[in-house]
Amino acid sequence: MIQKKICMLGSFAVGKTSLVRRFIESIFSDTYQTTVGVKVDKKVVQLDGKEITLVLWDLYGNDDFQKIHWSYFRGASGYLLVADGTRRATMEKAVVMEERARQEIGSVPFLFVINKCDLVDEWDVDTELEARLVAKGWTILRSSAKTGEGVDEAFCQLTRKIVG
Amino acid sequence: MSGPLPQFLRELGFVLLEHRGNGLFALLSPVPAWLSELWSVAQDSHAEIPVAEKSPFLENFLFEADAFWNANNQGLFRSETWIEKSPSRKEIPLEATALLWEGKRFLALYSPEEQFRERTQLLQTARNALLVHERLQREIQKKEILLHCIIHDLSQPLSVMSVAFDCMTAEQVTERAKGLLDLGRKASDQQSMMIRDILQVFSSDLKASLNAESKVDSAPDLLACARSVIKAFTPVYAAKDVKLSLEEYVDLQGQWRVRGEATRLERIFSNLLENALRYSPSGSTVTIGLAQDGESVKAFVDDEGPGLPADLSPAQIFALFSKGKEGGGKAGLGLYFCRLTVERWGGAIGCESLPRRGSRFWFRLPHASLQPENVSESAKPGSSPKSEEPLLSKKRPMRILFADDQTEIRMLTTHQLERSGHHVVSVANGQEVLEALQREPFDAVLLDEDMPVMTGLQAMRAIRQRQKEFGPMVLIALTGYSSEPDRQRLLQAGFDSVIGKPFRLDALDALLRGASPELPAPAKQESPVKVAESPMQSLLERVAGDEKLALGMIATFLRDTPKRMTALQAALKRKNAKNLASLAHAVKGSVSIFGANAARDLAEKLQDLARANEFQNIARLSEQLKEEIAHLEANLRVYAGKKRSLRPGAIPKNKRRKAHPKRRSP
Repeated sequence: MIQKKICMLGSFAVGKTSLVRRFIESIFSDTYQTTVGVKVDKKVVQLDGKEITLVLWDLYGNDDFQKIHWSYFRGASGYLLVADGTRRATMEKAVVMEERARQEIGSVPFLFVINKCDLVDEWDVDTELEARLVAKGWTILRSSAKTGEGVDEAFCQLTRKIVG
Repeated sequence: MSGPLPQFLRELGFVLLEHRGNGLFALLSPVPAWLSELWSVAQDSHAEIPVAEKSPFLENFLFEADAFWNANNQGLFRSETWIEKSPSRKEIPLEATALLWEGKRFLALYSPEEQFRERTQLLQTARNALLVHERLQREIQKKEILLHCIIHDLSQPLSVMSVAFDCMTAEQVTERAKGLLDLGRKASDQQSMMIRDILQVFSSDLKASLNAESKVDSAPDLLACARSVIKAFTPVYAAKDVKLSLEEYVDLQGQWRVRGEATRLERIFSNLLENALRYSPSGSTVTIGLAQDGESVKAFVDDEGPGLPADLSPAQIFALFSKGKEGGGKAGLGLYFCRLTVERWGGAIGCESLPRRGSRFWFRLPHASLQPENVSESAKPGSSPKSEEPLLSKKRPMRILFADDQTEIRMLTTHQLERSGHHVVSVANGQEVLEALQREPFDAVLLDEDMPVMTGLQAMRAIRQRQKEFGPMVLIALTGYSSEPDRQRLLQAGFDSVIGKPFRLDALDALLRGASPELPAPAKQESPVKVAESPMQSLLERVAGDEKLALGMIATFLRDTPKRMTALQAALKRKNAKNLASLAHAVKGSVSIFGANAARDLAEKLQDLARANEFQNIARLSEQLKEEIAHLEANLRVYAGKKRSLRPGAIPKNKRRKAHPKRRSP
């Protein structure tokens, strides 16, 4: 069986854990529960008739309290870079993290997910930055762990990128 | 392992394993409940466990543990906390420790449940607080905008009331009426004070300005702020293939501490860098520079983009909700907040196109060694930043050049100034100001900020450049944006003084004469006309009952307004935002004179939407404005008709005076 390691990367409270929970368990909680350690989970997906086990590394949000250990990316086949669409700064931080990830682990497939797209009234995305990143070749998806919109697509598209 | 130790380890929640090769680990101590639940290992098991297969996290950790063991290191090698899920989906926090003892490789696993809970709680509190802080900052920003708009709208009618009281006070009125006027004046002054107090209490930016660090030791270092934002923005810039750097010639050992606050300074730099990136072409460079500038430090951000937008003046670029014609930018708030913050610290901000290509956005802040009192004194409204002397000598009527694009305002202001005994020449834009100055000298030039052809600010700069040629004079800005930051912006730009529109006659007189007791008494009307006919009350109060002048202004209004409205419709059809905003501004000014508040508000909304390049609701507003103006015109015609029938031929031509023939020697 094919097994692929995928890491979740992004600022705190952007919804990394919620995306994983929605993807694996199809559940969502409105209460923000910060992730302190590293959570590892698995899900088997079918892609073009192949069975692939995704090992999801849900890493804590990178901030002043906890700094990412890049050794967790060892053996990673790809990662989901997550930002919160209602907090503009998390997008800018995601750009910085991607740069850092490239330095640490080289060019690995990734997908940029702008989460919380259900919060239409608070949506505050820098569309110019988004357009520039798309022009640079980034794949950007909008998701909502709350409604499930774009969640399966994000993991499946990344898996497809990884498997080729 | 024998004796009490294995049991002791189990009670502590540890399990000890020894590496036996091939990825297998032997249990040296009894299996704690959590491990049994997690890996389904019997409590008394002595089996060897393939640890890496049981946990992807441990598989990763063992890579590093192997390196640690192979290096024959002493001491311990610990993992961070990670969380495993049991078959029943229970989350179990774990930590691993590798140690080397007498050549043997040991692995201890531990479930730090209690510490983990405490740590989680601590981080949860901290991150919740950060989220609340972020949310509050966004809320504060929104409220500040709202507050600014409310204050602006509250202040405008007060200014009108003040002018009305001024005009009425100048008339021959009974003692009782004088008392009532005094009461009204006091009430409007009191309300002005209250508005200022509200600003003081609720504006956090203002509070920040009061708390701004000015002592050298604790004041923020502009160079450190610049470096910090360069570091933060470099990857974002790299994403667009734009280079970001500090100017080479910046003195790294220099004194760059300024009055202000570090976080906000970084926000200013960030806003300027975001703005620069927005317009920077791929492959270009953006540089941050710092330079000593007398008692201030000047910081600037240079880009290699297309330069400043042709549709906006530098002053407009820093205005609220301002966006370029290209629609770049976000809500038009970033640069506005830069301006508010810088000006409240006693600094100035501006921008210009660079000679070859690109643009420069700059701000200047006082050195930290400057006492705040010095800074605020020089920036006080009404005081000249250049001199402590009164603006003008006290002894004579003055030669005043007055520039405003609106005919009605020119007529009204000319009337007010002439009644104070001054000689007045009025013109319609900055270009005509320069032409008038070439013809004859003036003691004072009053420049409306917002004029077509050449704005008041541009005219002021042109005059300053040719000051020797034109001789000494006082330059006063007239602005519809009469907030404190706006005043300071204009003072810093080079005006000697600033006065809000519509202004109080006594305030202007005091300004012109340095509050001289030798002020010539305003000419009194022999028989003031007391008319209560609506909607003329407002106009007659403004012109102090001068019916002749009022009829002249009505004639001008009835002549000019249809042309303006036709031009406005044409601009709307062509979606020419610049012309539309300018025409709406002119209509706003002319209808305000007649107290037509509904029309004034509509014109203002139209102007704001045009400035924001938002055409969605403009057509509807324009129709409403047309209706309001038609209503006003009808009323004015009725009034003018009545008066004409009483005094035929009373409507005079526009009272535009000829230029004063005498030229002052340089």
